[in-house]
Amino acid sequence: MLSSLGNPRQAAAQLMNFGLILSSAFMMWKGLSVITDSPSPIVVVLSGSMEPAFQRGDLLLLWNRNLMAETNVGEIVVYNVKGKDIPIVHRIVRKFGTGPDAKLLTKGDNNAADDTELYARGQDYLNRKDIVGSVVGYMPFVGYVTIMLSEHPWLKTVMLGIMGLVVVLQRE
Amino acid sequence: MAASQERITVYNLADLKNTSDDALPNYLNSIGFTQSHRLTDVRLALGYSAFALAAACFAWDYRFGFDATKHLTAAAVALYALLNGALTLWVLYAERGTVYVGTSRDGAETLRVSTATRKNVPEYLVTVEVTRKGAAPEEIKFARSFTEWFDEAGHFVAAPFQAAFANSVPAIGRADPKKVATAAKGKEGSDGSEEAAAYTPEMLDMLAKANVSVVGSAAEEATGSEAAAKKKGGKRRKA
Amino acid sequence: MYSSIVRLQNAFGFFTTVAFVVAAFIAASDLLSPRTPSVGVLKTTNVQVVRGRPHYYSHKKEEYAIIKFSLDADLSSLFTWNTKQLFVYVTAEWPSAGGSGSGQNATNQAVIWDSIITSPSADHLANLGPIAMKKLKRSAQGKSIDPSRGKLSIKNQRPKYQITHPTGKLAEQDNVVLRLHYNVQPWVGILTWNQDVDFWKWKTFKNNLSKKFALPALKKKDEKKAR
Repeated sequence: MLSSLGNPRQAAAQLMNFGLILSSAFMMWKGLSVITDSPSPIVVVLSGSMEPAFQRGDLLLLWNRNLMAETNVGEIVVYNVKGKDIPIVHRIVRKFGTGPDAKLLTKGDNNAADDTELYARGQDYLNRKDIVGSVVGYMPFVGYVTIMLSEHPWLKTVMLGIMGLVVVLQRE
Repeated sequence: MAASQERITVYNLADLKNTSDDALPNYLNSIGFTQSHRLTDVRLALGYSAFALAAACFAWDYRFGFDATKHLTAAAVALYALLNGALTLWVLYAERGTVYVGTSRDGAETLRVSTATRKNVPEYLVTVEVTRKGAAPEEIKFARSFTEWFDEAGHFVAAPFQAAFANSVPAIGRADPKKVATAAKGKEGSDGSEEAAAYTPEMLDMLAKANVSVVGSAAEEATGSEAAAKKKGGKRRKA
Repeated sequence: MYSSIVRLQNAFGFFTTVAFVVAAFIAASDLLSPRTPSVGVLKTTNVQVVRGRPHYYSHKKEEYAIIKFSLDADLSSLFTWNTKQLFVYVTAEWPSAGGSGSGQNATNQAVIWDSIITSPSADHLANLGPIAMKKLKRSAQGKSIDPSRGKLSIKNQRPKYQITHPTGKLAEQDNVVLRLHYNVQPWVGILTWNQDVDFWKWKTFKNNLSKKFALPALKKKDEKKAR
């Protein structure tokens, strides 16, 4: 197994296989990004503010193109707020105006109040550009792994290590 | 590599095949064939350029963000798919399981050896395409059980493995006449099972124990790497 | 299949493949169940406009519309084995001053009332107190699908949300309509909303608009009702 590393071509081929697994996963992700026009087309739900529709750990597929219609009231969108690094998944409840300058207000189904408090200082509404995508597909629970990984960072290191070892040591 | 001191799991068909595949170039190079690496080099070039493209895509995405670079990213994704597709086609149709391409010492014959296994069948399926200058390629196919050159513990034994090739392929036999003679001690004929009978399990074990010397005598024109392997083996036995 | 780790790997790989294929089939099964939602009544019963502060410390006063309405609708066909919840909501829509007509091209849209109707399979997830939860669970005991949940009959409902406009002006606004919408949340698959065109077995949501109405002039001395 490790002995194959003595042959430079074979070592290069083995390293290439490992690299191609990583790069293919990355390029598939980027491909999905390009198709959906969203920088992160698949997100994991991190809070319970949209319960019972979405629980923590559910996987959401986003779509960020307005081919047929504008992003409208009733759609569940993922948006970013300036100065906060965690995107939020909530439903649009008000929309004033049309086009890129339309003023949008969001609210979590499970929250009593709308999101004005969550927005940046002095920001009363969202614009279309703040939105990363609208939720179109749903898969329960699958994303829970990532929550586990972010809550227990050492798991990440262990998993990466194991994966790397397996791929390097194993052929085919 | 014919690092026969290393043990493999005999239930792992991929391991059996890979170890055998690795031993073949060493043997053929040691008996005077000159290996051509064109197939592997093209594969590496395709694979590494795809990887480099993905790495570049990662870099500009990280540096400039998604929105600023999405057209470039779209092009990169398309190109990556093309390169990966080309790589797949190359492996499927150009390499076709080829583990060795080489030319004999006099340059008259070109060998192309491809190997395969069937799921859950411990047999080494070998196809050798011999091209003589100015003649149509001739194809020799044979199947051998892995038990012929792996002992129970999973040690690779070079002599019977090399003999299998020397006896089945005349071009190899001519380059390594000693191996043909070894096999001829058994019954005459090119039938695989009869030759297999030439090596009983006990003999295999004995050969495995005395492996270093066998390798040494089998390939008198041992290449540097094989000599190194021999040295390593010797050291380990002392330890 | 030569070591425990590889066996485990293969078993896990096979499990995930099967799980994804089954999930895909469940998601696709949505298409096979017809959707024929219908609306009997959607009308306003009482409309007011009042002035109030958006929050306690605000000096600015804004106009708020309080639209009471009645609703009669049958959305029971939207409940299938893959329905997790139905999100039903009523929006008020009106054109901007100087804008074109209402309806599809409404430029202002605000939810005045919404309701989450869980499928019996998702009752345990509902955000309810213990007594209401018990009641909800009992209402569909032993059923995996409860079509009666989709039958709505609401009379003179107070809006959940008093709506406003960024300009702070709403009084005497013409051409306002109420529109009923729904959003089907599946257990797995594609989220769907009410449609404007038929899609095979899924029918258009018709009659989900109220008659056009105008918001009245500002009602004096009714500030305490505003939030």
